[in-house]
Amino acid sequence: MRTAPAAVREHDRDLAQRAASGDRGAQRELFTAQRGAVHHALFRILGNNRDIEDLVQDAFFEIFRALPSFRGDSTLSRWCQTIATRVAYLAISRRRPMTVDLALVEDTVVDDADTERQVMLREATRRLYAALERIEAKQRVAFALAVVDGRSLAEVAELTDSTVIAVKTRVWRARKDLMKRASKDALLSSYLAELGGGSHERA
Amino acid sequence: MSEHDRLGPPPIEPLSDVAWSRIERGLWSRMDAATSVIEPRRPRRWIWLAAPALAAAAAVLAFGGDGGRPAVEGTARLVSGAAPTTLSYGDVHVALDAESAVVMDRMKGAVLERGAAWFTVAPRGDRAAFVVTAGDTLVRVVGTKFRVTRSGEEAAVQVEHGTVEVQFRGATARVGAGEAWTSRQPTAVTAARVAESEIELAPAPAAVPDRSPGGRAPALTAPARPSSVDRNPAVRPDRPPSGTRTVPPTSARDADAATYHRLEQLEVRDPRAAIDGYLALSRQSPRWAEPALFAAARLSADRRESRARYLIEIYLTRFPSGANVDDARKLLDHYSSQGAHK
Repeated sequence: MRTAPAAVREHDRDLAQRAASGDRGAQRELFTAQRGAVHHALFRILGNNRDIEDLVQDAFFEIFRALPSFRGDSTLSRWCQTIATRVAYLAISRRRPMTVDLALVEDTVVDDADTERQVMLREATRRLYAALERIEAKQRVAFALAVVDGRSLAEVAELTDSTVIAVKTRVWRARKDLMKRASKDALLSSYLAELGGGSHERA
Repeated sequence: MSEHDRLGPPPIEPLSDVAWSRIERGLWSRMDAATSVIEPRRPRRWIWLAAPALAAAAAVLAFGGDGGRPAVEGTARLVSGAAPTTLSYGDVHVALDAESAVVMDRMKGAVLERGAAWFTVAPRGDRAAFVVTAGDTLVRVVGTKFRVTRSGEEAAVQVEHGTVEVQFRGATARVGAGEAWTSRQPTAVTAARVAESEIELAPAPAAVPDRSPGGRAPALTAPARPSSVDRNPAVRPDRPPSGTRTVPPTSARDADAATYHRLEQLEVRDPRAAIDGYLALSRQSPRWAEPALFAAARLSADRRESRARYLIEIYLTRFPSGANVDDARKLLDHYSSQGAHK
């Protein structure tokens, strides 16, 4: 795990203290600085922006409530993403799985190679998150952050407040489950392989 | 998949500036509300006095309460989904429309984050006026029943009985029983009876872009007969005729009309939620079932959902002589011809 430079840590601690004391200016500064990181973590786990506004709001509400406990051991950005990850986990573990028709493949009008790639990416993403909807919440979070977002196992362990071994196991189980679900879906199967979550992944 | 064919990681879709301001506004409202309810801890003996009262309140709610929803006294954030909901908050009753959100606070009154709600406020007596905030609009109440509608930064107020004082960007207007006010014309208070002029915040003519291939803005009041697919040159032959618009009932004065119009506005922002809302409306409102079900089918076809054909068939079965039956048949023909080509 990389350690944040001393100047960054000092700035983060100072901003957190001011925001925790109720300084609205500091709270706005923190919100503006971290909103991208929080949205990124939530979007990666959820896969779309549907319902995400309420979750971003929930995440920042929790962040501001927890600010007095921020010690500056990690960067403020990482700390905020840890809370956002928890909020996303709670959201997906509470809701029922969505019904998604994986069999429907639409005809697409293609003008050029890039358009085709975009359409394929959108479809592959849709199928990936439809499959992720069906696996256990902790596995989904671990897979989304480690494989889809490309974070290290150690970073995911920090974000999910668990051990590297536990994250590795969750990713392995998620990959196994997803590959099983993708066995009759060539696009999803090859996309999982490309992301490093499929059968062709490095050991 | 070769290196050339690599798709890359799923892109992160950014949120719009409007969405961020909505989040920020809601967040500060919650923060303010949370701060204001921090009170010193009371002696524990009150628990023994409160227990019978809580039991009695629970019994009232269970057997005679308003839909079984508990009364709330602390800070509460109420968010409705596809169906409307209600909340009793002290002596204030809130009937929240579908797809709306409100924060209720004992000290600060109510903050309408989005959507619309009816507020029934008991006479305040010596207490401070109850205030509803909707963006830059402040509605100050002594005791009355009134409705506040919010769409982005715009707000509208209509009063059933009593009088409210509306403050908007430095200007103040008094709105009495049977009168309405909107932030589009902050200096004018409409004298028309509420029953005769249900005000709704429709998007301004060019404010909300219509993404349908037909390019027409969503219909806001009972429209004329929708133009057919044939008259819409922008419709691609390989896509369902999404230019069709639903023909709602002639009268748009009931409560479900408000829901319907709001769902029309929601179509652009969140079509999936709009479809869910239309389907819910078609189940709960006999009067609006026909246009709502067709709207769900039409929008579903726009989005090329697999259930679109199924919804159209249900529509034609339930409403064989409905106002939108011609358009429904055209949509169905389109699907049939697509199936024949495959």
